[in-house]
This record gives sequence, C-alpha cells and structure tokens, in this order.
Amino acid sequence: MKLHTAAQDLLGHLQSLSRIASGRLANPTLSGVQIAATGDGIELRATDLQVGLRIKLEGDVERPGTVVLPARLLLDITRQAPGPRVTLELRTEEQDVEVTAGSAVFHLRTLRGEDFPPLPEPSGAAGVDVSAAAFVATTAKVVRSAAKDDTRPLLACVLVRAEGEVLTMVATDSYRLSEKKTTLESPLEGSFEANVPARVMQELERLVPASGAESLTVARGENQVLFTVGEHVLSSRLVDGTFPQYRSLIPETFDHELRVSTSELREVVSRVSLLAQKAAALSLAFSEGELVVSAQTQDVGEAREALPVPFHGEAFAIGFNPEYLRDGLDTIDGDEVLLRLTSPIRPGLLQTTDDQGFLYLIMPIRLNS
Amino acid sequence: MGSEGTPVRCIGHLDCDAFFASVELLRRPELRGKAVIVAHDGPRSVVTTATYEARKFGVGSAMPLATAKNRCPQAIIVPPDLDAYREASAGVMGIVRDEVEIVEQVSVDEAYMDLSAMAMPKSAMRRLQARILRETELHVSLGIGPNKLVAKLASDAEKPRGFCVLSRKDAWLRWADASPGILGGIGPKTTDDLARRGVATIRALSKVDEATLSDWYGPRTGPWLWRRCRFDDDAPVEPVREPVSESRETTFSVDLSDAEEQEAELRRLSIKLFEALEKQGRRGRTVGIKVRLRDFTTVTRSRTFPVPVVDEEVLADAAIGMLREYAPALPVRLLGVRMASLELEDGPGVQLVLPLSTG
Repeated sequence: MKLHTAAQDLLGHLQSLSRIASGRLANPTLSGVQIAATGDGIELRATDLQVGLRIKLEGDVERPGTVVLPARLLLDITRQAPGPRVTLELRTEEQDVEVTAGSAVFHLRTLRGEDFPPLPEPSGAAGVDVSAAAFVATTAKVVRSAAKDDTRPLLACVLVRAEGEVLTMVATDSYRLSEKKTTLESPLEGSFEANVPARVMQELERLVPASGAESLTVARGENQVLFTVGEHVLSSRLVDGTFPQYRSLIPETFDHELRVSTSELREVVSRVSLLAQKAAALSLAFSEGELVVSAQTQDVGEAREALPVPFHGEAFAIGFNPEYLRDGLDTIDGDEVLLRLTSPIRPGLLQTTDDQGFLYLIMPIRLNS
Repeated sequence: MGSEGTPVRCIGHLDCDAFFASVELLRRPELRGKAVIVAHDGPRSVVTTATYEARKFGVGSAMPLATAKNRCPQAIIVPPDLDAYREASAGVMGIVRDEVEIVEQVSVDEAYMDLSAMAMPKSAMRRLQARILRETELHVSLGIGPNKLVAKLASDAEKPRGFCVLSRKDAWLRWADASPGILGGIGPKTTDDLARRGVATIRALSKVDEATLSDWYGPRTGPWLWRRCRFDDDAPVEPVREPVSESRETTFSVDLSDAEEQEAELRRLSIKLFEALEKQGRRGRTVGIKVRLRDFTTVTRSRTFPVPVVDEEVLADAAIGMLREYAPALPVRLLGVRMASLELEDGPGVQLVLPLSTG
C-alpha cells in the first residue's frame, strides 16, 4: 500500500476517528485506524464495536492495500507534520508503515489487520433522507440532557423520531429532560424511530459541518442504525429497550409563569454559580417583583444577585443544579425565556416565549429550610 | 468568652467494661468467672473483647486469636453477636443521654460528655454509673478531666468499674514517663519514629520544642504533638457525629488469587454496604475500594459520581471496575468497599429525580 494525501484532510478525519477508536478494549487492533486504499480511493475506518465510522479520504493511491495503524499516534504525527502533504507506504519486509511528511520520516509498526472487524455497509434500501442542518440543530437542543455515564444505557441515548414533516428528539438523564420538535421543510418519505447513543449524535454534529453535506440518510436495520453523511458512514448498535415514557412527567399547568430576559438571567446564573461548588445548589428565591439568585459553598463563600422579574404571589425559593440550569438557558433561542414553576419540589420548565417546539424540564434540588 | 477568660471545661468519658464479653455473660451466666474471648473462630480472627479473667493471661483486644489461645488455652471462644451488642449499647447510651445533655457517642461502648455546665459533675457521674448498672447490669468506667484527652485516660486508668477524676497536673504525674502512644491519636508509626529520635516518653516529648516537632512532622502535627504531651486538648464534645463515610471489608481466611472470586466478594460487600445505607436512609456519591495484597501492600481507589449512587448494581460495578483497573498483581488478603459523601436520601441538598422507568 502506498498513498499520498493532504495533511490537513487527514488530520480532520483522524480527529473524528480517534474519538471512536478505543484503547480500552481487549482487542488492541481496535485502538487503530484502518486505512484501505483501493482503485476507488481511500477509506479510513475506526470502531469500538458499538460505533463504527468510515470516512472517505481525498488522495492518490499509488499501490492498493490495507493497514491498521495506532489512531492516536497517527493523529499526533499528522498534527505536527511539517509539510502540506503526507505519504504512507507499507513496507512488507519490515512490517511497518513509513510515514513521510516534509523531511520527517516515521516508521510505525502496524496493528494486526485480521483483528479489525468488518463495518456495516450502507445498504441502499430503507434509508430516510433528512435535512442535515435540521438534524444537527435539533440534536444541539437536546443532546446535553443525555446521561454522561452508561449505567442506564437508554438514558445515555437520544430518542430520534422522524415522521411526516416532524423530527423529534428527546434526551434525559432523569434530572432534566429536553424535547425538541423540528418541522421539516418537506415531508419525509418514510419514517423511523431509534435510540441513538448521545456520543453518536455528537459525532454527527461534528461530521455534518465538516462534510458540507446538505442531507443525511438514516437507515435503521435490525440492531444497527446507519447515518450516511456525504461519503461518510457512521454506524451504531441500537440500544435495547424502550425509551422512557416521559410525556406524562411534563406538567400541563404551573402555578407561576414568568418571562425573564434570557441573557440577563443567564449572566446572573453564571456569575452566582461561581460560588456553587462541590455540588451545591443554586437558590432562586422569588418574591413580589424580584428574583434573588444565591449560592453558598461551605468553607468557600457565598454569592447573591437580585434581578427584577414580574413575579406575583407567595414568595418561595427553589434550588437547581447550576450546570443543569445553565444548560437549559443556553438552549433557549430568544430574548425572553418563559419560566414555569409550581413549588420547590416540583419540576420547573424552561421554554421559549414563541412556540419553537422546545422544552427543558428540570428537577429541583431540595434547599435547606 | 467575655472578661473572665476561657470557662473551665469539665469533660467526662464513659467506657463500658469488656463490653461484648459482658453482654455475653448476661445472656450466659454459666460463663461468669471464666476466661471468655469474643471472636470469630477462624485462622485469621482477632480478639474483639475478652473478660478480665482472660486478660490476666495476657489476652487483649485486637490480638490474633491464635496467640490468645496459646496464652489462655482454657478460654471459651464465643462468636460475636453484633445485634445483641447494638441493643445493649442503645440501652446504655439512652441512659447517658437522659442524664447528660451534651453527649458524643464515639463507638458502641464509649462516649464523651460535656459536664462544664453541671454544678456537681462528680456526683452526677457517680449517679450515672450506678443507674447504668442498676438498669442494664453492665459495668462502666468513668473518667473526668479538663478535656477529652485526660477524661479518656482517666476512664481507662482504673478499669474495670473505674471512677477517676484527674487534672492535667495529675495526668502529668501519672504518665510523664509513659510512652507518647497512650495519648490518643499518636499511632505506633509515630511512636516508633519518636523512639528512634530518642523520644520514648511523654516527658522527653515535652522537652522537644514546637519548631523542631513541626520540622519532624509538619506544621499541623508538630504543634498538635507539642500540646498533646502537655495533656492539652481543646477538641469539643460534638453531640452529633455525622458519619461521612461507611465501609465494609473482609480479610480472607485464604488469600484470593482468582479475579472472578475477588469480584464476587467485592460485589457481595458492595451489596451489604448498600443495604446498610439504605436502612439508614442515606446514600453517597463517592465509591472507594481497598485492596490488601499478600505482602500487605494496601491500596485504595475511589471515584465520585455527580449524584448519589441509588442502585446496588451501580455501586458494585463501580467497585469492580476499580478493582479491574488496579488488577492486583498478588493474591488478595483483604477487600473493602466504602461509600463517602453521604447524604440523606431525602433532605436538603438532594437532587430530585424524574420517575422514569426504563425497560
């Protein structure tokens, strides 16, 4: 195998691939990126058995062949490549790959190619085309609410449902829940629903702008879902089980509804959060016409800041995890946010003031008192 | 503290005499007057308590059972019954709290009391000792001093059925030539280290200046030692002792070398720990493990979650994950699991959760 390519292209792709390649698995080959050079072009592949990524790489194939190289190391080499072009050549005798960039020469031992599993092929059938921009924008609204750890795999997923002209995504880690419904410009031909791991969705968020693709194709198989973005294919094993029934958990009515300037509240929350360390709660105390945001961390200190809000009725204070509240405010698109609350132990809801099909439900933290 | 300076403190320390053994004797009067050792009977067991009859032969707490049996072959070994001891403890401590307002219980059979506000602390303590005996048939030793350190030394000084009142000066006269190891908080490592430096007694320790001690043991421990050897201690009696962590550990009769067995054991301990915390209505965010290898190398690892662990499987998996990462290179002698950053399940600071059901 021998190929020439632009260092910049290779670098961009390796960043995606090295997030998928995993050094934590028993099979060391999975820490590698497979480079397949054929008459049709070059393809880079990485997988951790859960998620697979195949990326087309622009370049010239001088001699076809397939090798597996350590993803992380190749990424670091490419990042520091002194010239604009990189050449990779398999040296069969030495069982290594010569990487040449400018005047720098590296010899990398290959990983066992036969241990690299085949990745799913995009089967032409049963795919649904969705606007890539709408898909990514919808993802961005919800993905942060997915659980960061895998203890409950379904909660580390985004529920993706596409039907007619509506694309719906939902994520929750059980402390907050985001739902976004996007109306598509044209109705879909076909429909699908899948629990897609949040990290796959985040990878799509990066792939779409990088590829410049206008649409992406989602194909759901028996236990796989395949996203085709331009010439890239991201595949993921589906997570077993049914996404939690969440609709009934969203209250229909609230005792208090108030409109607050999104940017003002965001800034106040961000400032006061500095003193909500060590998992301390942020307190939002509402009284006639005023909201006082405060926080205190034992042995560190306290902070408080007031802002005028159109609150009427019996004063009360509610506590939130500052990070969750910030995440919610960050996803509000609009000058004003609609805050809907009932009591210190009932969930709160953040919405836009116009109907954007978006809601952010957040569970409180019990406050002292 | 106003113009009169620091008020005079008066601290009491109560310690039940041979507590576990005494509880056993109440249940089994036929053992009275005999050498009784409370311990599990296994190759690695240690003595938890022994009756004074057994202590005469040199049997002491925390001694390997094998040694104890050698010293006192006629001793009767009784397996511990922790539930019974807890119940007896609740009886004693209930009376203590009834008689004294500020009580800090430090273990099942030991408590400090702040007697500073009492007009006649000595007679109050006499009354307490008699009442405990009358109502529970258990003997306790009491010590009274100007601080916790002296009070504890005093309760120990005339055991069993002791009653001892000491000032700092009395303590000095009694123990100036004893090892610094008797001053609670100074462990065998420090004691040995001091001895190596030629400081084998409290008197010798008191002659080392504060700066030198700070050089030897750091800016916290140095000055603390300096005060300690003068029988000076300003630690308050803290009525509620919020347990910040809880753990379960086991020393194996035979070292475990099989990874699967180690994991199974760690899982069992995790579930035991989780159940105990659940009963107390508490949960923690930090999971830790402790591994002791055959050569006594002891390592601990821990991991903190953003929210409390509410599932025993999560706790067990986290513990096992850390064990796998550490991958013990030698057979394992002891395994332990610990949860810290404990909080009440439903109190201030608790993150409420959406009642999601995932299939």
